[in-house]
Amino acid sequence: MSVVQNNSEKNKWYLIGILGGMVITMKHLLKNLFNKKKMDTLNYPEEKYEYSNRFKGNHVLTVKKDGSLRCTACMLCATNCPAECIKITAAEHNDPTVEKFPISYEIDILRCIFCGFCEEACPVDAIRMGPEWQTPAVNGSKFIYDINHLAYRPNLKGGILSHVDDEERHKSGI
Amino acid sequence: METKLLTEFYHLDEFVGLEGYKKHGGYVELAKALKMQPQQIIDEVKASGLRGRGGAGFPTGTKWSFLPKNDEPRYLLCNADEGEPGTFKDRLMMERAPHQLIEGMIISAFAIGSKKSYIYVRGEYRYPISVLEKALREAYDAGLLGKNILGSGFDHDMDVYSGAGAYICGEETGMISSLEGLKGQPKLKPPFPAIQGYLRKPTIVNNVETLAAVKYILRDGAQAYRKYGTEKSPGTKLFSLSGNVMKPGNYEVPLAYSLIDLINKEGGGMKPGRKLKAVIPGGSSAPVLTAAEVEKATMDYECLAGIGTMLGSGAVIVIDDSQCMVDMLGVLTHFYHHESCGQCTPCREGTGWLNKIVHSILEGKGRLQDIELLEKVADNMKGKTICALSDAAALPVLSFVSKFRDEFEFYVREGRSKVKGTTYAEMHH
Amino acid sequence: MPKCTINGKEIEVKNGTTIIEAMYENKQSIAHYCYHPGLSVAGVCRLCMVEIEGNPRVQIACNTTIAEGMKINNTSAKVKDAVKWGLDFHLINHPLDCPICDQAGECGLQDQYMEFGKYDPEMAEKKQKKHKVVDLGPTVVLDSERCILCSRCVRFTDEVSKTHELGLFNRGDRTEIGTVEGIQLNNKYSLNVVDICPVGALTSKDFRFRQRVWYLKDSETICTGCSTGCSVKVYFNKEGMFRVKPVYNEQVNGHWMCDEGRGIYKFTNKEARLLKAKKGQGGTWTELAPGAAAKEVAPLLKKAGDSLALVLTAQYTVEEYETILSTFVNTFKTKKIFFWINNKESFDSFDGLLLRGDKNPNTKGLLKTLQKYNVTTSWAELKSGLDSGAIKTLVVAGPENQAVFPDLHERIAEFSKAQNLIWMQAGSNEKLESLTGNVTLIPLKTFVEKNGTFINHQGLEQKIKRVTTIVSEALTLDQAAHLISGEEIPVFVPPTTETLVETNRRPDEVMLEHRKKNEFVFRRGTL
Repeated sequence: MSVVQNNSEKNKWYLIGILGGMVITMKHLLKNLFNKKKMDTLNYPEEKYEYSNRFKGNHVLTVKKDGSLRCTACMLCATNCPAECIKITAAEHNDPTVEKFPISYEIDILRCIFCGFCEEACPVDAIRMGPEWQTPAVNGSKFIYDINHLAYRPNLKGGILSHVDDEERHKSGI
Repeated sequence: METKLLTEFYHLDEFVGLEGYKKHGGYVELAKALKMQPQQIIDEVKASGLRGRGGAGFPTGTKWSFLPKNDEPRYLLCNADEGEPGTFKDRLMMERAPHQLIEGMIISAFAIGSKKSYIYVRGEYRYPISVLEKALREAYDAGLLGKNILGSGFDHDMDVYSGAGAYICGEETGMISSLEGLKGQPKLKPPFPAIQGYLRKPTIVNNVETLAAVKYILRDGAQAYRKYGTEKSPGTKLFSLSGNVMKPGNYEVPLAYSLIDLINKEGGGMKPGRKLKAVIPGGSSAPVLTAAEVEKATMDYECLAGIGTMLGSGAVIVIDDSQCMVDMLGVLTHFYHHESCGQCTPCREGTGWLNKIVHSILEGKGRLQDIELLEKVADNMKGKTICALSDAAALPVLSFVSKFRDEFEFYVREGRSKVKGTTYAEMHH
Repeated sequence: MPKCTINGKEIEVKNGTTIIEAMYENKQSIAHYCYHPGLSVAGVCRLCMVEIEGNPRVQIACNTTIAEGMKINNTSAKVKDAVKWGLDFHLINHPLDCPICDQAGECGLQDQYMEFGKYDPEMAEKKQKKHKVVDLGPTVVLDSERCILCSRCVRFTDEVSKTHELGLFNRGDRTEIGTVEGIQLNNKYSLNVVDICPVGALTSKDFRFRQRVWYLKDSETICTGCSTGCSVKVYFNKEGMFRVKPVYNEQVNGHWMCDEGRGIYKFTNKEARLLKAKKGQGGTWTELAPGAAAKEVAPLLKKAGDSLALVLTAQYTVEEYETILSTFVNTFKTKKIFFWINNKESFDSFDGLLLRGDKNPNTKGLLKTLQKYNVTTSWAELKSGLDSGAIKTLVVAGPENQAVFPDLHERIAEFSKAQNLIWMQAGSNEKLESLTGNVTLIPLKTFVEKNGTFINHQGLEQKIKRVTTIVSEALTLDQAAHLISGEEIPVFVPPTTETLVETNRRPDEVMLEHRKKNEFVFRRGTL
């Protein structure tokens, strides 16, 4: 990178420019003092910005009507993940119609780059990225999200239902 | 005109028993044959031009001469697994003249040098089996079977074997599998049964009617037999006439008999007020003929092949103008779906697929492209499998759809039959 | 020797060769499911269609013997169309649950469809429902819906294992594979049916759901389960070994291997291994690096002189025997070297197919090396030596596969009579770690972590190559022999010619061009 220096005569009279800038700052200060509603900033963390539902924030694992996970542990999300942050351990389900299910599903959110490929790869609409984006924690281990957090964290209020229904699909013979 | 060669004495009850049969010229040809050279009999059958009456129409004498020279034992199997919908001639022959079949079989067995033969009878034919078993006992008691038949030094044993009701066991290799105690599934060809058949030994499989006809070829000579029928299709044949005719039943006529005569003269014509719409000339596997095609059809192998169908087992199913062709195809596809043995993929999956498509049309859920799809699926099932069941399922579909397309299109569009005007549920309550 | 033309290429084949065999030999691609070179011809999948000049109908290649002057092709539009539809017939009742199917990634149906498929399914009807998750026996699970009824497994139990457990039930599209009630698919070769199943209908209980196959790498090696020495492929990734599958070897195992041999990956994994060297004195143990432990015992062995003895199991490579024997005979000047035979009673037994009673991969190799160094000792000498105290320092190269040593605990007790016991082996063992004498445990590498040669029961020398490293610190017996004699490990400089390794490609694998052609191309912004 190179720096271009402007040594022209006009540039030496910088005081006017500085004063001009200070006027703008003062104007905003006064505007914000007397008209708080039009202020462009938020008082984070007391105030929080609401993103749209399409925002690709933290992951959510969807659930079936009975509250169990929709995920079939096909590992397509893990395969597709460019950051390799998804780790799934599959196991055999007692119910033969379910067959395979994840006994553990972990996302290392610090590695995640929020690309949304997992959502795209999922054949059963089991993983989605929600509008939630704040992920503070006090130590590294808290950043590995398990099933409990991904599917049943308190603000999901018992899990998010997917619009695809297995039983209906089976009944219609697909 | 009916020509009663095989069925001459069928109206007599005494013809069933050994005594009555002997009274009307029974077992004369057996005694004559046992004094001949086996090769002479084969040559005589060859000269007569007798063709297999089971469906394929393969020349019988030629089949017999395929047997390898020095491979023993050889088996003769009689195919009485009459499963083709519409066919009931073998049942009549077994019920009314069991000794005719037995005599024909002993002669044929002597000709091909077989010491053991089986009659594989369809499982549903309980009564014919009992008649055959009784006749076999009589034959054994009279020294016509067993060791040293009629003092000629020729030994032969014969058994009746009951199938379990599978259509596919009427196919010769399927029948052999069933006889061996395996699942009734056709075997890969080559090797052909004449080389490696029952228990991997040379085996000849012939239809009931074919074997019974051998006796009459010996009685009258090949030239006399050739007087019936045409050059390529000589002899007489039993036709099982069924469907919407006045007098359904078995009729023996010479080959190359006019189909329209068979329906109108022998069958007594259509029911009053009804018009002929279509005829299936050779059992349910044969492509259907329209009324116009029936006019010029004669019942021989060449003529029917020429108009795109086949003589098959000789089951003539007459359809009048009150029948819905879509509904009829539904019955056929259901039959083939039920009877596919499940071995080859095109047939296993294809018959099910055809059945599902036809039934979705019948239930009013059809789409216009389904009619084309039916043709495509049937076309790709044809000639791709071990046995001919796949063809048998595909050919009726192709002929029904191409010849009665308007009925199918109407059904798809309106959701009800064009002929009957009712839906599938109403047709079948 | 008939001559024929296949796809324009003129070739000469042996009498009685079928078209599909000739195409295989000439590396022509042809779709097929039911044909398997190790089984009889069933001819039921109807996919290996070829067009023979002069024949109006397409024929199946697996049941057609080549005759003089035949002109065969499988690239014409007619054949391609037949294969397309053949595949579509296979798929109309297939559940297409690839995401949860264990076979996905190595599935015949996926592979063949990519290369020969129709790509516009027209099936709009309901699929046929069949049984899911059928427990066939202790090793295999069946999913009837995925089954394409190629009957390979049925033919395997009829023709190879000759146990006749499996059969086809029902007719038409209701046909299912199954066993008769009360009978289980339970034989010594049952897992072969999983290998030959072209789809995910038959899955192994051992491997089921443990890994997706695309996470696994594979490499060829030799099975160390018994002295047959089958050629196998091991599948592994950074988490360890996951399964073993047979590789065709005409001289040894043909297409098959036994169920027992498929378990050999288990003792190579970290959970079963000795990770650090351990030094025990009076029941207190200290851990140290394997190399350091081996160096530490060197002076002890040098001093031992005539009271030193060596026990060898037949589980190591010829090269390792060579080094350790030369160390003992030439450096330590002792010939007290003993061969530990694990199961004497059944040592020479053979089940008629593959399994042998001698559960060591290299008995012949050990005997040969012992003979070379003129070592003639009997087990009784070791016993009396230990009892009388003539043998004070004992070095043991213990078993790699401890499960096939039923007398292991007995021997540990016996050997612990020696004043100093130096025990080298790959796996951990509780009994060993509970000894209270002067014991040094040195971890060794397993057969997947080293190069070498095994000599099988028929005297065939088979080379193995290093597959992966599981316990990186562990020593090979070769390295351990150098270290315990006070030498340094010779640095191995790989010869330059060996750097290019031939890839192990399945003969029916779909090539990259075909894959590329059909790959879903994702363009951002166009969707």
